[in-house]
Amino acid sequence: MTTAAQAAVTNRAVGTAARAQAVSKLYGRDETAVTALDRVDVDIERGRFTAIMGPSGSGKSTLMHCLAGLDSVSSGKIWIYSRDGAASEVTAMKDKELTNLRRDRIGFIFQSFNLLPTLNAVENITLPMDIAGRKPNKAWLDRVIGTVGLESRLKHRPSELSGGQQQRVAVARALAGQPEIIFGDEPTGNLDSRSGAEVLGFLRRSVDELGQTFVMVTHDPTAAAYADRVLFLADGRIVDDMANPNADKVLDRMRQFDTHGHNRDDAAQH
Amino acid sequence: MFKASRRNFFAHKGRLALSLIAVVLSVAFVTGTLMFTSTITKTFDRLFATTASDVAVTPKSDKDALPGSPEQTVPASVLDTVKALPGVQAAYGDVSTERLAVVGPDNKAISNATGGPTIGGNWYLTPHPSVDLTSGRAPAGPGDVVVDADTAAKKHLAVGSQLRIVTDTQAGSFPVTVSGIATFRTTNPGASIFYFDTETAQTKLLGKPGVFSGVDLDAKPGTADDTLKAEVSGKLGAGYDVKTRAEQEADGRNAVGFIGFMKYVMLGFAGISLLVGAFLIINTFQMLVAQRTRELGLLRALGASRRQVNRSVRFEALLLGVIGATLGIATGAGLAYALIAIMNKVGLNLAASDMQVTVSSVVAGYAVGIVVTLLAAWIPARRAGRITPMAALREVGTPGDRRSSRIRNLIGLVVLAGGAAALVGGAAAGATGSGGSLLGLGVLVTLIGAILIGPLLAGLVIRVLGAWLPTVFGSIGTMAQRNALRNPRRTGATAAALMIGLSLVSGMAVVGSSLVTSATSEMDKTVGADYILTANGGLEITPEALAKARATPGLEHVTENRFLNATVSGTSGEGKMPFSASSPTMVQDFNVRTVAGSLNDVFTKGGIALPEAEAKSRHMTVGSVATVTFHGGSGPVQLPVLAVLRDDTVFNHGDGYVSLDTLGKTVPADKLPAVDLVFAKADKGKQDQAYQALKADMAPFPQITVKSQTDYKKLIHDQVSGVLNMVYGLLGLAIVVAILGVVNTLALSVVERTREIGLIRAIGMSRRKTRRMIRLESVVIALFGATLGVGLGLAWGVAAQKVLSGIGISTLAIPVGTIVAVFIGAAVVGLLAALAPAFRASRMNVLRAIAADG
Repeated sequence: MTTAAQAAVTNRAVGTAARAQAVSKLYGRDETAVTALDRVDVDIERGRFTAIMGPSGSGKSTLMHCLAGLDSVSSGKIWIYSRDGAASEVTAMKDKELTNLRRDRIGFIFQSFNLLPTLNAVENITLPMDIAGRKPNKAWLDRVIGTVGLESRLKHRPSELSGGQQQRVAVARALAGQPEIIFGDEPTGNLDSRSGAEVLGFLRRSVDELGQTFVMVTHDPTAAAYADRVLFLADGRIVDDMANPNADKVLDRMRQFDTHGHNRDDAAQH
Repeated sequence: MFKASRRNFFAHKGRLALSLIAVVLSVAFVTGTLMFTSTITKTFDRLFATTASDVAVTPKSDKDALPGSPEQTVPASVLDTVKALPGVQAAYGDVSTERLAVVGPDNKAISNATGGPTIGGNWYLTPHPSVDLTSGRAPAGPGDVVVDADTAAKKHLAVGSQLRIVTDTQAGSFPVTVSGIATFRTTNPGASIFYFDTETAQTKLLGKPGVFSGVDLDAKPGTADDTLKAEVSGKLGAGYDVKTRAEQEADGRNAVGFIGFMKYVMLGFAGISLLVGAFLIINTFQMLVAQRTRELGLLRALGASRRQVNRSVRFEALLLGVIGATLGIATGAGLAYALIAIMNKVGLNLAASDMQVTVSSVVAGYAVGIVVTLLAAWIPARRAGRITPMAALREVGTPGDRRSSRIRNLIGLVVLAGGAAALVGGAAAGATGSGGSLLGLGVLVTLIGAILIGPLLAGLVIRVLGAWLPTVFGSIGTMAQRNALRNPRRTGATAAALMIGLSLVSGMAVVGSSLVTSATSEMDKTVGADYILTANGGLEITPEALAKARATPGLEHVTENRFLNATVSGTSGEGKMPFSASSPTMVQDFNVRTVAGSLNDVFTKGGIALPEAEAKSRHMTVGSVATVTFHGGSGPVQLPVLAVLRDDTVFNHGDGYVSLDTLGKTVPADKLPAVDLVFAKADKGKQDQAYQALKADMAPFPQITVKSQTDYKKLIHDQVSGVLNMVYGLLGLAIVVAILGVVNTLALSVVERTREIGLIRAIGMSRRKTRRMIRLESVVIALFGATLGVGLGLAWGVAAQKVLSGIGISTLAIPVGTIVAVFIGAAVVGLLAALAPAFRASRMNVLRAIAADG
């Protein structure tokens, strides 16, 4: 990560891509209810790379799922802003609008890649457009494929690709539709450190060079260091907001959770 | 999007294979039936097209005539009258009768096909014959006969072969020599035809010179059939039936109405197997959707709408339906071909080259296959649409175990209770009135109810059925039982598929064995005769044969029975009903049970006996005077009612009785119906000799069978088991499909439980025990299906017996053997169904199984 690139991003005039206002999420009912999110307020900036961190059970995945319209909220509001600044309230959307939102404006990258085993790499990449019934933008598609370096692997099925290659396909799939925001759920969680670094490098470049907005949940300080900003969650609340992070600073911050007695385990998920 | 579902379809083709087979089998049965029956229909249609004339004149048809009524003829004068009409090009006097038997030197009947008619006719030439003389010469005198080529080939007849003709006319039996062989211009489906010269046909077959069975007319060129018909009717008056070619062909089609009946019976069974196949398809798609939850969740996360996901599953179902129907139609054509071959073996003469691959049967095949598959996939597709995008993010192991829905159980219980009430109501109503329809309703509704509460019962019954498993097989048994219970809906649907076939089998078995038991016990109670003579085919028991029977040494008496219709009116109410006209010794041979009066009086005092239902509807009792017009009688006669008979009788059910003497006073001898049934009693101590002598005396009359009481009971038993076996055979298809369903459920659940099975293998379960676990699960599911089926079938059978007790099926007999066989069969089915899935489970690579993802 070069400081020059970071400076370029920080200097760019940015707006808001998504906003959560007093968002709470409860699982279960009555006495057994668990508060996953507790009146969270957050703005996600356009054209920047935001990481969400926190110990297991802090609500970081839930926050991302709610922002992305995958999960419903118990109270509070969430908006997604288009590039021209128009706000759409995600929390007021019905299933059909949510479907359109996911289809046209949001991209996902999952921890376990989630490629369709029966489709080859390029078919997986164009699947969202296929679902939407749109023709892919050829020039853009080539650029995306070039960026993630998959030119020679396009006709391979997922089972013929390594984990890193599969995740690059997933990244390309997310980028191909030119969504307003891409959400990543531990995108490097299933990769070794080298493949992980590669994938994060591509994501960083997509933010820097393509102006993509990217939100990622992670528990890995090294991964978080690629971000422009790190939000720390604990017990369903945002407890810290770090700009221009590096791995050591993030690790130090994470350690504080331990000293404060929060349960931290190293399980791969959440 | 469709690309993804198409790929999915072919990627999971193994998992869809059994569903495909189910679709193929059911569609094959439907299209095979349609092609087969339309082939038969076409064959008959072609035949009728060659045998029909432009216009035919026949005696006025008589709706009241029973099969033994004297044959109607037209006098030769009709031929001369119509010949002179201006629209007539040519007229032919035609003799055609089924009142004959043709006997070979070994006393066996010469016939083309089992059950096919034997027809005697006169040989005459027309410009458009239906047969051509292909060897020998035309019949020229009383000793000549021309035989159709199919019969000649089958019975190895050639010009010069010696035959004997048996008639019911004064001619009795007479010898003939084959003078020629005639070949049909179209396929002859199964009639044996014998041509005589016209005079012989008239005098010996019809019994009178100068009469014909009908007159066939050729219209002059330019004269329409309808015009000619009007001309002929106008000339002859109302005493004759005059029919155009089209009408004759339509009559022919009606006469072979059994083809339509056969078609609907077979389609009914095809429908049952389709229903069973639908369960298999529902289960398959439920499981495929469950296994692909994460994948479908991903599609949703990537922006696919509910409808798109829903449609993608339905698209797979559509592919399955189209492929299944295509293969099914091809298989159906093969099936029809095989049926034609079988029919040719058992007698019916059909040319495979005539096989009709009709557009309608192909369309029906596709419609049935696709509609059923799409309907069956409806619910799984809806469920797929409801998968949330969050499913893509979950670590999916096995899909969650499902409980049966409370609402479904409640509805099921209500429906079942309603069905049970209908069955009880039907049983209470009996054969009269609404009993039959209530029974049918009850059967249908209880079936639906049982399907609905299948999952609920799965919980209860499998807990009971499988209770011994843990004690006998230890932890394997526990796991097998719990596995069968973990998805009650799936187990319920799998077992329901098996239940449908087995419930019909056990229900039919109860009715069948009750019928045999009731008939046998009624025979013991009522039949005093030692021997029973019956006739098959168009020829009844001829006077010649009757005389011979009377002369048989060792017989104490011989009772003749003739059957005819009569219009009976009492103080109020009038209606037609059948009568048995018998010799006075009838009362010794057949103890007809009475409600009031004595049957003996009917023969000594000269009156009639009526069954209770007929008496009641006319408000008559013993002592009332009835106005009776017998068929063929000179007019109405006043006869006293001397006995009222019980309705609950299997034999002669619904018949009234009159003595032959009484009948003879109002019906002239030449109008009397033929003897249809003869009872005979041997002198004391001479039963065996008399039986042998009677059989020997009847040997020259192949249309007559002689049965002792024991033979007759066996005949009833054989006939009932014959019908039952045919039904079981037809249900076999539904049961095969249900077995495929068990295999399918097990195979898919083994795939679904890959991880779990890997785990138990990893902690040390042997392959053998793994296999046993799957087998036990399978047996438990199959036995559950058998329990449901037998339970339902018994309820139906008992209700049906109660309904039918009014018409003589008064004894309930539970066929314990059949029921035990059903359970043993189900256990075997369970073992067989588990073969492949158990093998697969035991062969799983332990490491890969644990690593498997979803």
